[in-house]
Amino acid sequence: MEDQEYWESDPELLDFDRDRHIYYLLMMYQLLPSPYQGQEINRLTLAYFVISGLDILRALDRIDKEAVINWVLSLQAHPRNDSTLEKGQFYGFHGSRSSQFQSNNNGAAILNGSHLASTYCALAILKTVGYDLSLIDSELLLKSMKDLQQPDGCFMPIHTGGETDLRFVFCAAAICSMLGNWNGMDREKAKEYIVNCQSYDGGFGLIPGSESHGGATYCAVASLKLMGFIEEDLLSKKASCHIINVPLLLDWSLQKQAQDGGFQGRANKPTDTCYAFWVGGVLRILGADTFINESALRGFLSTCQSETSN
Amino acid sequence: MNRGVEEERARIPMSQRPEWADIRPVPQYDGPNPVVPIAYTDEFSETMDYFRAVYLADERSPRALQLTKEAIFLNSGNYTVWQFRRLILDALNVDLHEELHFVDQITKDNSKNYQIWHHRRWVAEKLGTQIASKELEFTREIFSQDAKNYHAWSHRQWVLQALGGWENELAYCDELLEDDIFNNSAWNQRYFVVTRSPLLGGLEVMRDSEVAFAIKAILAKPENESPWRYLHGLYKNDVNSLVNDPRVASVCLDVLLDKRDCVHALNMVLDLLSHHHQPSNELKDAVDAVSPDPKPSDSNFAERVCSILQLVDPIRASYWRWRKTSIPAQD
Repeated sequence: MEDQEYWESDPELLDFDRDRHIYYLLMMYQLLPSPYQGQEINRLTLAYFVISGLDILRALDRIDKEAVINWVLSLQAHPRNDSTLEKGQFYGFHGSRSSQFQSNNNGAAILNGSHLASTYCALAILKTVGYDLSLIDSELLLKSMKDLQQPDGCFMPIHTGGETDLRFVFCAAAICSMLGNWNGMDREKAKEYIVNCQSYDGGFGLIPGSESHGGATYCAVASLKLMGFIEEDLLSKKASCHIINVPLLLDWSLQKQAQDGGFQGRANKPTDTCYAFWVGGVLRILGADTFINESALRGFLSTCQSETSN
Repeated sequence: MNRGVEEERARIPMSQRPEWADIRPVPQYDGPNPVVPIAYTDEFSETMDYFRAVYLADERSPRALQLTKEAIFLNSGNYTVWQFRRLILDALNVDLHEELHFVDQITKDNSKNYQIWHHRRWVAEKLGTQIASKELEFTREIFSQDAKNYHAWSHRQWVLQALGGWENELAYCDELLEDDIFNNSAWNQRYFVVTRSPLLGGLEVMRDSEVAFAIKAILAKPENESPWRYLHGLYKNDVNSLVNDPRVASVCLDVLLDKRDCVHALNMVLDLLSHHHQPSNELKDAVDAVSPDPKPSDSNFAERVCSILQLVDPIRASYWRWRKTSIPAQD
């Protein structure tokens, strides 16, 4: 089912240095340099970027998928024994060993620091490398995830407490979607929270009242789509959506493509590659990606590619 | 990460500190074939090995508190360390004003770290309403370095809602917008205050003066997206009032007559037309006058606006072309 490799068939991608990007990602896969120790707690997220990057570049054959699967599964939180399920704890995946503690005889310390975002990354990695997610022991994961949902519909990332915002609503929706099981969350309540996050200008903020932001808008729209509240390709089908203001969202999103071709995350802020994904993703979900000025965006993205000497 | 005074002193390894002699550090077990391993420095490994030891022993002591500080300096995102620090703060009944001072210091170099702001909120919540003005002052300091720091804005909004201090907020928005009329965070905060302040009476009461404010900003810099969105937002859920407010069509006309950057004006005109606004001849003429040659010949005015937008905002040409197809039938 492979069509011709995109980097071979598209003349505009001649300066896309695929091999060097693969090399870079493989280097990171082998060893992250010391400055990354400040991101220790999120190692799984970094692994997700590396692996999904390699997947997009069609270079996943360069890594040991078995090793990846085993490592990711080793980060899953399990109760110490079947009869003592610590109430209120979330049994997801840890982002790294630094939140995962080996059992000791002292009962006081909380050994399970598994996190919603890490769980999303874990499942995404497993899915990317072809692991059958039905093999995951998901019942406890989903049941305990529901306890992280707040009365207003938002999600806390970890049972010991943490900031609540749209990022974790998205993680929860993605987790349920990947596991094919919506017992992990109350979708109606989550929808209410998302709707309350739509700002006066059509974009979404991370919490109600916050400024519209590309990342938050992606989390909002992607969650609604995954949960089944927005139809696929809304705009091409001229379908209507009554829960959020789609025309305003569309106008806001498209206005974020600046004159340099890149996307901003907020009005009057500089462009950044990441928003090509966040805002581009929103437009794709709405079926409005055809309105993106692709050549301008590509022009911008190539200026963001590291220069290499030949 | 800036460690202040400690930066100047060479670090003494924990294994050589007499006060830690009784502790056996717990190494990290990474398992076979770890993926994306990190090249930890010795300092990092050792600090975390000792942290693991006190964490597993659940030692909530002053030295453990100090250790969490060192671990935080190395990895300010580690929520397990932060959580344990909070347990120790509670156990030792530490003066939270001191803790707030610590958070002040590390925020300066890590102003975009979620865990630090979350910890700050935890401390502020415990201190209560007495700390409201200090928290507003602190975020103001952050904004003096970066007037759009998203975390600081979230914190400020939380402080206002949970602890109070609304009195000068609209004036603060005025100040920020005087500094930079393009600051979208300040516009957003303005909307927040106007719609939620218990002291102002709500959106409908404030609308009139806020429309005037937005129009003034538009006339100063019509290429600024923020006041246009704000103006539109003042009529949220009441688009008929937007269409019927003569000031809205009027500001579009003023901008177009001045032949200044007019994309937002044309977009607003299009929006008005989509809601059955009847344009004046003056407005129609002004729209046609800004069009580059060759002038579009659509007989339907709204379609003509779309055609002109394709010419003056070419990066979004395909969107403006599509907008033509979704114009409601005109009278």
